[in-house]
Amino acid sequence: MKKLELIKIVITVLLCSLLVVPIILSNHSWPTHARNYLLANAQSDTGATNTVSAIYLGYRAMDTLGETLVLLVSVTGTMAILVKLGKEQTDEETTSFSLTPEKRPTNRLRTHLLETVASKLGPIVLLFGFYVMLYGHISPGGGFQGGVIVASAIVFLALGTEVKSKLTSTFVLSRIESLSFLLLILASISGVFFESGFFGNPIKSASSLSANFIILLNIIIGLKVGTSIAVMCIAMMGGSHDH
Amino acid sequence: MIIERILIALLFLSGFAAIVGMRNIIKKIFGLNLLNASVVLLFILEGSRIGNQAPILDADITNMVDPIPQALMLTAIVIGVCVSALSLALAVRLYKATGSLDIQVITERLQREH
Amino acid sequence: MNILLLSLILALGVYALLAKDLLHSVIALSAISMLSALLFTILRAPDVAITEAAVGAGVSTVIFVWAIRHTQRRDKEEP
Repeated sequence: MKKLELIKIVITVLLCSLLVVPIILSNHSWPTHARNYLLANAQSDTGATNTVSAIYLGYRAMDTLGETLVLLVSVTGTMAILVKLGKEQTDEETTSFSLTPEKRPTNRLRTHLLETVASKLGPIVLLFGFYVMLYGHISPGGGFQGGVIVASAIVFLALGTEVKSKLTSTFVLSRIESLSFLLLILASISGVFFESGFFGNPIKSASSLSANFIILLNIIIGLKVGTSIAVMCIAMMGGSHDH
Repeated sequence: MIIERILIALLFLSGFAAIVGMRNIIKKIFGLNLLNASVVLLFILEGSRIGNQAPILDADITNMVDPIPQALMLTAIVIGVCVSALSLALAVRLYKATGSLDIQVITERLQREH
Repeated sequence: MNILLLSLILALGVYALLAKDLLHSVIALSAISMLSALLFTILRAPDVAITEAAVGAGVSTVIFVWAIRHTQRRDKEEP
């Protein structure tokens, strides 16, 4: 019955396009009030020169809290399914591409290129990730971007070296993730005690220091995002047996 | 201007057709990724019409791009990758339980076990 | 320039859905993320470009390759 299925798919796509295509193709002019207000007031309200950072860490910090929560829930769910899968397999199947030469399958296309390049590039990418995280308030970058780059660097280090260090063990990384989430909650409550409301800037009075709150939030969010994505990737590669 | 919107609408519809029509579960998750990418492209494209400078407040900036769609799309990209990761883990679990990636074969085998 | 990049993205998207080898589709999705990051830089959105490049070509490709490795690599048509 392939023709019947094809007709059903075509009717569904036509109905969806009736709803969606007029929205995409509409031609109204984009309003400019928000852009003009932010051009004049973003630096004096939050202390950041990067306007996008000022929005998602200053004016709409509640969205950032929600997104961090979604990341936490999804990584927890994925790890729960992964650990159950890992218990049903033998060791040789899962750890066959990240460890010592004796355990690797013999294959003449398999060279030492991966280990050499990844182990040399790992610390450089880690340094770059911390730079992007810390300078997020005056140049493009910020917590999320730096965090994902730090996660990539941790995956490089796990693939490249054979030494089991504390930086690439899931035990230490998951503890850092939980600690970062706790620090995020504490930093958001601290605004209440200094008369700025929930998620408000507690050091608003001194105008030269008010960007420090955004730097602190960037560091906390970067550590959280980085370690949670690194834990998920290392568990996928099979390295969650060694604590 | 209108051609770019038509291309983005075609990308959206092809992602939707993949979710509805493909029989392999991993191809359906590819379609979810394409839907996400098309919506992000639409917002950034529309927000960039009213200016021609990047939204970093230097000394002499007069005509910057709207920064609000960019802040919203940062959140959308991260949430998209979270949804992909969780759905892929569920797809692998389904494969280990039934032995196939075809959605009709999976439905039949799960119904037989009841 | 925008139209050229968007039509390349559409062509790669359709190829990713119709390929028989799933690894080819994953590489096509990674290429879509790279072209999107280039398009965001042209449209004056540097934060979104860094995020899309790091997330799309890094994390997303890794999780897709893991999923293909633990299931089948070819898209078999069962009758």
